[in-house]
Amino acid sequence: MIRSASRRVAGALVLVAGLAIGAAQLAAQSQAQPAPPESPLSALAPANISKSRPAAPFNLTGNWFIDNSPGIQGWLFGPATIPKLKPEAQEHRDAYLQAIKEGKVYRDDIGQCWPAGVPIIMTRVWPIAMIQLPTAIYMISEFMNSMRVVYLDGRSHTDPDIVVRTFNGESVGRWEGDTLVVETKNFTNDPHHWVDQGVPASDELRIMERIRMINNGQTLEIAMTLTDSKNWEGEWKGVRRWNRVNDHDIGEVECLPDLNEHLQSTSSKVHVR
Amino acid sequence: MKSVLFGAVAVALACAVPVLAHHSPAAFDRSKEVKLVGTVKDFRWQNPHTWIEVLVPDEKGKEVLWGVELTSPTYLIRAGWKSNTIKPGDKVTVVVNPVRSGEPAGIFRSLTLADGRVLTERPARLGTPDSK
Repeated sequence: MIRSASRRVAGALVLVAGLAIGAAQLAAQSQAQPAPPESPLSALAPANISKSRPAAPFNLTGNWFIDNSPGIQGWLFGPATIPKLKPEAQEHRDAYLQAIKEGKVYRDDIGQCWPAGVPIIMTRVWPIAMIQLPTAIYMISEFMNSMRVVYLDGRSHTDPDIVVRTFNGESVGRWEGDTLVVETKNFTNDPHHWVDQGVPASDELRIMERIRMINNGQTLEIAMTLTDSKNWEGEWKGVRRWNRVNDHDIGEVECLPDLNEHLQSTSSKVHVR
Repeated sequence: MKSVLFGAVAVALACAVPVLAHHSPAAFDRSKEVKLVGTVKDFRWQNPHTWIEVLVPDEKGKEVLWGVELTSPTYLIRAGWKSNTIKPGDKVTVVVNPVRSGEPAGIFRSLTLADGRVLTERPARLGTPDSK
């Protein structure tokens, strides 16, 4: 009986000691791990949407299609004048121009199912559905159903130490009079992200957009200013327009693994990888 | 126009119509047209491209598989196409702008069905009067 009681006491002591060690380890872990950042209200949280704000000067909810009436310039962003490129970017551009001379196609990564990314996704010959809320504008290109969100709820860009860099970047907008001003940054440094044919984009890409609704709400005009200190000098400016589309809804468009197997041109010998 | 069936070659100055492509259009030679007279092997009605595979006999009678890339159904529907407009086994004549490499592939210009109907595609354009 006495021996059994001693065993129970010893077992209890071991259990208490184990709990104490576990508690100490947890305390040490909690000291080593910084507190997670406070989560802001989502752009779709009712409490955020219903906050009191000045009325937006315009609502661009609708479907929009790049105005390619001047020609096929809607294929990519590039205005006629490309800024002075940095040496590495110039090498890409020269290789592109050489490929054209030889009747070839240089680094057509979009054709290989890589995301077009901003700004090219905005100028593809596919409609873009835009849904405007007080807190954000959701832009969904029919092309690969690529999604871009412009936040309007007063938030800042995400801390660069935690942001997940992407092909479409992170867009934050504010109203200035009758103009929506959008700053987009936090782009990926992926070598498949291009601004124009033979002009790469980097994680230093910054885009300022001044968006206006004109022509009685039938035309969207965006003046873009691009900087990318890794790839060109100074500012690269261009203006594009989009027409409102009322007779088409965007559908599901995907670059499926077997798509290019049946499009010989994407695997043709004319491609320079 | 180059007719694969008869081997005749001619150059046509095709107007550059924006295509609804997911890839660069630079692979195609828009200054040339090739006429394919053959039999449909497959027809896929899908985004981002509809495509046709056509078996075309060459000068020696050997069948060559040609790949033909079309725009998306959005613009084909507006030009009168349906998902069952053609099916495997149909005899067709297809005109394409060929790829520059000389491989048996091209981008679509027109289709003539066995009953003589001719189908084209609409330019990739929305939101303008001519896109209705």
